[in-house]
Amino acid sequence: MAMEVTQLLLNAQSIDGSVRKQAEDSLKQFQEQNLPAFLFSLSGELANEDKPADSRKLAGLILKNALDAKEQHRKFELVQRWLMLDATVKSQIKSCLLKTLSSPVPDARSTAAQVVAKVAGIELPQKQWPELIGSLLSNVHQLPPHVKQATLETLGYLCEEVSPDAVDQDNVNKILTVVVQGMSSSEGNNDVRLAAIRALYNALGFAQANFSNDMERDYIMRVVCEAALSKEEKIRLAAFECLVSIASMYYEKLTPYMNDIFTITAKAVREDVESVALQAIEFWSSICDEEIDILEEYAGEFTGDSDVQCSYFVKQALNALVPILLETLLKQEEDQDQDEGAWNIAMAGGTCLGLVARTVGDDIVPLVMPFIEENITKPDWRQREAATYAFGSILEGPSPDKLTPIVNVALNFMLSALTKDPNTHVKDTTAWTLGRIFEFLHGSTMDAPIITPANCQQIITVLLQSMTDVPNVAGKACGALYFLAQGYEDVGPSSPLTPYFQEIVQALLTVTHREDAGEGRLRTAAYETLNEVVRCSTEETATLVLQLVPVIMLELHNTLEGQKLSSDEREKQGELHGLLCGCLQVIIQKLGASDQTKYGFMQFADQIMGLFLRVFACKSATVHEEAMLAIGSLAYACGPEFAKYMPEFYKYLEMGLQNFEEYQVCSVTVGVVGDICRALENKVLPYCDGIMTQLLKDLSSNQLHRSVKPPIFSCLGDIALAIGQDFEKYLMYAMPMLQSAAELSAHTAGADDEMIEYTNSLRNGILEAYSGILQGFKNSTKTQLLIPYAPHILQFLDSIYVEKDMDDLVMRTAIGVLGDLADTLGSNAGTMIQNSVSSRDFLNECLSSEDGSIKESAEWTKLAITRAISA
Amino acid sequence: MSTMAEDGFASHKRDPVKSSVGGVASQKRRQHAVAVRKERRESLVRAKRLCRVGSSGDDADTPLNNAMMVDEEESVLDAQAAAAVEELKSAVANQGKGAMQKVVGALRELRRVLSRTEFPPIEAALEAGAMPLLVHCLAFGSPDEQLLEAAWCLTNIAAGKPEETKALVPALPLLIAHLGEKSSSPVAEQCAWALGNVAGEGEELRNVLLSQGVLLPLARMMLPSKGSTVRTAAWALSNLIKGPDPKAATNLIRVDGILDAITRHLRKADEELATEVAWITVYLSALSNLATAMLVKSNVHELLLHRLATSTSLQLLIPEAAWVLSNVAAGSVEHKQLIYKSEAVIPLLLHLLSTAAFDVRKEVAYTIGNLCVAAASEQDSGRLSLILDHLVFLVEKGCLPGFIDLIRSADTEAAKLGLQFMEMVLRGMPNGEGPKLVEREDGIEAMERFQFHENEDLRNMANGLVDRYFGEDYGLDR
Repeated sequence: MAMEVTQLLLNAQSIDGSVRKQAEDSLKQFQEQNLPAFLFSLSGELANEDKPADSRKLAGLILKNALDAKEQHRKFELVQRWLMLDATVKSQIKSCLLKTLSSPVPDARSTAAQVVAKVAGIELPQKQWPELIGSLLSNVHQLPPHVKQATLETLGYLCEEVSPDAVDQDNVNKILTVVVQGMSSSEGNNDVRLAAIRALYNALGFAQANFSNDMERDYIMRVVCEAALSKEEKIRLAAFECLVSIASMYYEKLTPYMNDIFTITAKAVREDVESVALQAIEFWSSICDEEIDILEEYAGEFTGDSDVQCSYFVKQALNALVPILLETLLKQEEDQDQDEGAWNIAMAGGTCLGLVARTVGDDIVPLVMPFIEENITKPDWRQREAATYAFGSILEGPSPDKLTPIVNVALNFMLSALTKDPNTHVKDTTAWTLGRIFEFLHGSTMDAPIITPANCQQIITVLLQSMTDVPNVAGKACGALYFLAQGYEDVGPSSPLTPYFQEIVQALLTVTHREDAGEGRLRTAAYETLNEVVRCSTEETATLVLQLVPVIMLELHNTLEGQKLSSDEREKQGELHGLLCGCLQVIIQKLGASDQTKYGFMQFADQIMGLFLRVFACKSATVHEEAMLAIGSLAYACGPEFAKYMPEFYKYLEMGLQNFEEYQVCSVTVGVVGDICRALENKVLPYCDGIMTQLLKDLSSNQLHRSVKPPIFSCLGDIALAIGQDFEKYLMYAMPMLQSAAELSAHTAGADDEMIEYTNSLRNGILEAYSGILQGFKNSTKTQLLIPYAPHILQFLDSIYVEKDMDDLVMRTAIGVLGDLADTLGSNAGTMIQNSVSSRDFLNECLSSEDGSIKESAEWTKLAITRAISA
Repeated sequence: MSTMAEDGFASHKRDPVKSSVGGVASQKRRQHAVAVRKERRESLVRAKRLCRVGSSGDDADTPLNNAMMVDEEESVLDAQAAAAVEELKSAVANQGKGAMQKVVGALRELRRVLSRTEFPPIEAALEAGAMPLLVHCLAFGSPDEQLLEAAWCLTNIAAGKPEETKALVPALPLLIAHLGEKSSSPVAEQCAWALGNVAGEGEELRNVLLSQGVLLPLARMMLPSKGSTVRTAAWALSNLIKGPDPKAATNLIRVDGILDAITRHLRKADEELATEVAWITVYLSALSNLATAMLVKSNVHELLLHRLATSTSLQLLIPEAAWVLSNVAAGSVEHKQLIYKSEAVIPLLLHLLSTAAFDVRKEVAYTIGNLCVAAASEQDSGRLSLILDHLVFLVEKGCLPGFIDLIRSADTEAAKLGLQFMEMVLRGMPNGEGPKLVEREDGIEAMERFQFHENEDLRNMANGLVDRYFGEDYGLDR
């Protein structure tokens, strides 16, 4: 059944576009007409030593792509298709793949290794291909080096593809033994050794049991450290990557090895090539990550029973580690500020220094200050920049008490460097450091203000002036202003920024018009800073914010005038639309928040809505996320008046709800449905059939990203609140969906933290839906329609209570639902409620909660239940 | 067709500490928009919940309009509160004819404003200067109606936020004074209510109240046999003796007649009063050894259990009763023996252990477990010694399966209780009966679940027990 595919595969890589196209079409046709024969032919091609390397490699790649895809639903389809394939064909394909592992052609071996792993990823969880690992491992010691290398590579990919629970401990032990032996310095062949270390990287997740055994762990760690000292750069790099991974996976097991690891990493940071040095720094960054997490968790709960104890590695290494990191700061690249993707030793070192500061707090300050003092005035820009960068890096972590006196001394120096330093790089870092100062040491919670009436004007003048500097410096100056404004968020009725408001807005708008505003995302920085200035402004400047409305509208209008755009221009236009709609969203939210300002704003509502609709019309297949978000704010500001825009807007709403691929768009749109419900109340009724159809479709789709489902449930509640008893006709669809989702989310046994978090958000959505429906029906003549659903709702409350893994938000929503049941159903639910666990134990627990909002909800619920029982 | 993607090795690039503001800022902005939306949803739901339409079946618009009003109402309410206080001020200042009626009218208006919604305009009332006026209205010799309305206003204020409750401090001496026998019972009850709210706020205010002598008059209010006044007093007392300082509890139990009143209420009172009294016994038994001893002597534990056995709505009392018992059982050996000897107790405990809600079972298990152990004597071996006859009796009555059930629960605290009891059975039952009993009740299987349990204590404990009692030698002698 095999077919000759060599020529097709070669043509598919031809330089001639039409030849390539034809070959691709033929391959596709072959695949669609006869999948088993197609896959078998490809595997035969891959295994055939007489075929050219190029066709073999492509055959393997197509085979691999026939087994896996990025999109979840597509992947699911491919897996199902493979599992349905005839067993004989599958076994022939597999034997071709295994045979290829001993090919003398490296590309063929490597490709086969990846395909074997993909097949294993599908079959091992199904308990198929049980002999695979055994056959890979048999005779591994007698194999010629190139086959041994391919075998190790296969094991590595296999560990990447397969989840640890699909491989039994016995096989895990065997894999690790082979891998670790291959890594050891006694292995003479470097390719084998490299393949083994890379395999270990993927196998670390399998090694839980082995890392708990002191002897096995000692052995593995010794071999990894040994490899980190290899003469071969690639081996060292791979070994350090293993160390980084071990740092986060097995932090609590590291104590006995930290002295050695410190020596090895210190040497690598100082002397090794960049790629290796970066990993050595990354090791310490990962250790910081772990300790920050542990210490945060420890501070969060006083019980201190978290499973991992902090070993304070960073604190212990501090005196030796900080000088090493400071040295790296002097190794800057000339143009790193212009390149957004840049990453080098200096950047990594500063980032690590920042993490160290967050880990140890005050202790870092005396270790860094001498470096700053020594270098900040040096003629070499590298030294000035490194000193400034060091300062900026340590501003998060140490206490304000420790930092404020230093900052008060440094501030004038920084302001003058920002205007006068001849080097752009230094100015960039200075502006960023000012931003960090304002981010962490300025705000209403600080005891000693950094910014005073005496220096406020000077600071603003310097920042506005820097906005005319080169794009990267201007962007950082915007950032500093952003945090400066943010610090005055809750300053009260009068803001120190009021006198400068107009000047600041003008300067930011000027930045957005710079010809080079596209560089380094300067325009984005300017608009987001403008947004923050507006958001944190006070009533005093409300008129000025109102005057900004027509200005931004005009900007948006101008971008819509352009004729036929190239795809590149279209993308830029989309970005600009995003910025302007985002800006309008913030302004609308600001002005819509109080009655006086809302009144002035409403004169623009029609025109703004018209602009948003035109922004939507620019895109054919999807809707603009930012415009959608802005419409949510507009709906709130307009209230029931928003109904007049619905006929035109509705189609975009529906389009957004249908957008499975860009799930964020879908999610934003779901939120906007809620905004519209609250704005229109029962005037939303005419659109509800369409909206509900779409929402229920979304809920039952397995293509939609799961994060959208909780907001959809909440949205059902929003609709029910808006239309009250008219929700009746949707009950028979919505309730079963809620019920089955409730059952799924009742238990979290064995789930990881992320899953528990998701489950809680799902529960919250479901409970909000119940609340909305119950409250929606309250005082209507149709409350009896809900009685049949009450037992299940109570059961859901009972079961999540017994589970004891609710977060505070769910707890509050849940106790509220109990009250809603009593409130809406009254005496009909009285006995039922009294007989449930939630009515007594859960309620009592909430009544004595330390969280004020839970207590408040519980008190209301208690009242509602009392009324229901006595009714 | 694309060539083979270089499945390069994982790159570890992390976000640099030095970055531009743009990306993060737009993300935050969007999150903020979502947060604002959530707040709006919450305030709408809250408004709906507070909205009560007297007669159902109005047109569908009514609740919506009312709901909308709540937001606007806030400022309106504040204004009304301020106006009411102003009116009270001028009424108090006015000495002319009908002055008293005007004061009562103004107080009533203020009380209504303060009762209007779930979020009454307390702050506005206080800012307008309500407190000195209310204190003035509590003056001795004022008419009952005026006292009642003023105390009612204070009750509402005391139910507010902590700092609002604290504003009551100047009023406390007079509120306490009106608890006395000379006051009419509605006035005394209203004052007790206000004081109960104050006591519930926190330890600091409880201490202020206690130092001003609130305990005795409140305790005396509990002595009569029935009535809402007794219930309110009991509730206020339970708030007052919450501790953590045990002094108030100890002082309370010493008050003449209080023990008698407690037993009487537990024996005869209606469900609601009994519940409040049960709460008092909870705090008494938890905080004061003296009180515990006296309660046990008066057979309060039996009364509570009797309540449980006969109550129509069991749930209401079970947690309190179970809690009291576990407090008592944790006490001295004499206490343990008292519980053990009372006929009604053990069967009911065992019944609860097998049938009650999970939390109650836990308390009951704790009680039973405690009945079987005593603190080690002089030789502090660090281990509790068994009260063997208690253990044998309880095991014979069939309590073991209940504990084994707890071992199987996901709650580690409960599982630990279960394992500890099992350890006692294995170690303590005479003639080596322990292991056989445990095996018969599937206890081995229950312990084996912990073989790989993530909780190290439990794992070691269970594995240790299995090894020690069911190791290689087990069963050889049979």
